[in-house]
Amino acid sequence: MLLFLSFLAMSMIGSSHSAESKVHNIARLNNEVRELRTQFVDGRTELMQIKMESSVVLKMAKKAIHQPEEPPKKIIVKNK
Amino acid sequence: MFVFAVLVLIQLVHIQVVEGDKYRKKAEKRVFKTFDIPANRGNLYDSKGNLLATSVPKYDVRFDAVTVKDRLFKKHVDSLSLSLASEFGKPASYYTKMLRKARSHKNRYLLIQRNMGYSQYMRVRNFPLFRLGANRGGLIVEQRTIREHPIGKIAERTVGYERKDEQGYYTRVGLEGAYGPFLRGKEGKRKKQKIAKNQWKPIGDANEVEPQDGFDVISTIDVNIQDITHHALLAQLESYDAEHGTVVVMETRTGEIKAISNLGRTASGKYYEKLNYAVGEAHEPGSTFKLMTMVAILEDNVVDSSTVVDTENGRVKFYDRTVRDSKWGGYGKISMAEAFKLSSNTAFAKIVDQHYKNNPKKFVNRLIDMGISKPLGLSIRGEGKPKIPYPGDKNWYGTTLPWMAHGYGVAITPLQTLAFYNAIANDGELVKPRFIKEVKAWDRVHEKFDKEVLNTAICSKKTARIAQEMMKEVVRSGTATNIKTNAFAIAGKTGTCWGNYGKDQEREYIASFAGYFPADDPKYSCIVVIHKPNKKKGYYGSVVAAPVFKAIAKKIYNDIPVVDEIFAADITYSKVTQNFENYFEKAQTYKTVMPDVKGMSAMDVIALLENMGLTVQIKGSGVVEKQSIAPGVKIQAKQTIRLELS
Repeated sequence: MLLFLSFLAMSMIGSSHSAESKVHNIARLNNEVRELRTQFVDGRTELMQIKMESSVVLKMAKKAIHQPEEPPKKIIVKNK
Repeated sequence: MFVFAVLVLIQLVHIQVVEGDKYRKKAEKRVFKTFDIPANRGNLYDSKGNLLATSVPKYDVRFDAVTVKDRLFKKHVDSLSLSLASEFGKPASYYTKMLRKARSHKNRYLLIQRNMGYSQYMRVRNFPLFRLGANRGGLIVEQRTIREHPIGKIAERTVGYERKDEQGYYTRVGLEGAYGPFLRGKEGKRKKQKIAKNQWKPIGDANEVEPQDGFDVISTIDVNIQDITHHALLAQLESYDAEHGTVVVMETRTGEIKAISNLGRTASGKYYEKLNYAVGEAHEPGSTFKLMTMVAILEDNVVDSSTVVDTENGRVKFYDRTVRDSKWGGYGKISMAEAFKLSSNTAFAKIVDQHYKNNPKKFVNRLIDMGISKPLGLSIRGEGKPKIPYPGDKNWYGTTLPWMAHGYGVAITPLQTLAFYNAIANDGELVKPRFIKEVKAWDRVHEKFDKEVLNTAICSKKTARIAQEMMKEVVRSGTATNIKTNAFAIAGKTGTCWGNYGKDQEREYIASFAGYFPADDPKYSCIVVIHKPNKKKGYYGSVVAAPVFKAIAKKIYNDIPVVDEIFAADITYSKVTQNFENYFEKAQTYKTVMPDVKGMSAMDVIALLENMGLTVQIKGSGVVEKQSIAPGVKIQAKQTIRLELS
């Protein structure tokens, strides 16, 4: 009887410990998610700025590449 | 001794039994707590999946100058200052002084830097001393979640924000505000128990509520068009030194707003997204209102495009006020179509006064029927209310009607004007301008928003077609010939409105252009309104506003490829086929042994040999005559072959 009760007590302590360690783990992972998320948004922001037409125009002007005066022509060849 | 023991015992019992409940409650309060679990706010995307707004954490870094050991502080204070200096751009001596002062003052909460992004925070965290952590290094980090706009200052006002004050009321600006109810999500509730390391462990509770994350909202904005629009408007505002301006680009058929740019000047002369003028600012439209007048009088059949009106000498008096044409001396006798393309104020004032003087209600009712007296009911808050005076109002005078005819004494927002022009481009169908496409939860579509028609026909198709022709003529041979291009046709109307036309005030102008392109198959409608340009530099709608329209139209047009379909000619050159088969066979057969390449063309032979790992040197042109490695020889690594062609 005593053995059983102490077994129960032990498993209770054990499970509450594992629950606590899970909470800590979740907190850690949450932080990691947040960090990765900012990293993603930082990257996305930078990409957005770089890929905007206005910034591409500025960069290309140095290389003497300008915007076209006419739209591109697309020729689709069809087989009969 | 015994008495003491008894007293202690009594006190024990007293605390346990009499005051027990109170203390137990207190203990519970310290250890158990119900938390509001904030829901993650959804993202706001543009129509092509680019992020417009999202939530990110930002970091404040502070320094606890007391917890650090003397030895460590002395060792690292200089190198830490150097690192901080190189990161934040202030001199190292500044940081050394600051850190030492904090230490001598026992400051445990010295602010190093606020609002750092993730990557900067990661660098700062690895600085000398800081990398030792909270207890030994004194690093204190606070994290907050803020809303970030990856496209920066462009469309800042349209993307907007949402704030909640202590009373729970929301300030709702732009798309973030308009779609707040979708984005917000629902807060959850959960009881938690305090455990080690200052963490809280969730525990079972009947009142538990799971938080629901906000939905993602896909807006109709196109970042690329927005970018073009922003910079076209900015350049023009700067070169004409204007007070503020707005541009809206809308897809003609669907009413999807592709770009909306609002720039106002600050005290320092820079421009930024100050207010949403396009949505909120109802102003006197001036000549762009002539389209509404024209459509109204065409619908009432009081004129047709060839009706002749005498503009006299460009000055016509109504009671005590004079309507003037911008051209000194007037245009003489002209048709209504010409009056429209030349934007003759006198012609419009006269014709409307002549036909509606005795029944002004008929004219105003026609305008009201076309829907321009009502707000559009936009999802973005703060839409300006149009103002159309009605006969019998206390400020309705004899001059009200002729002035209304050319766009004065009425007020309308740029977006409402645009919606009307768009309706004409759509043969009379008035479509509601729309900012939202879809609401999504991850990949699942929660709600889809379709085209919304406010009025299937604000006028007859016939009238719309006549008005379309007149607008084309404005660019072809009227007030806006300066934006004519051969690539595609533009249809629209210029507007140069006098603001401040009171007697003693300095005159100010509002330059505008509204229209659509390509004129023959309208894809986009667009309005440009620029307030208070520097008069010395120019103030006509055609000069100040129309070029912005053209720049945008041209860029958008140039982005769409001209597609040409042709059928493949059914010719096969036997020699080409043969050469290719010869090449293909050799390429399949020879991998390590030198083939006989005599008679092959340079194009084929280079591909063949370089694929085998050889470096090819060529002399002459034509077909191969000599090869420096004989056929059948095994090829070594990094070998060079010389070929002679003729």
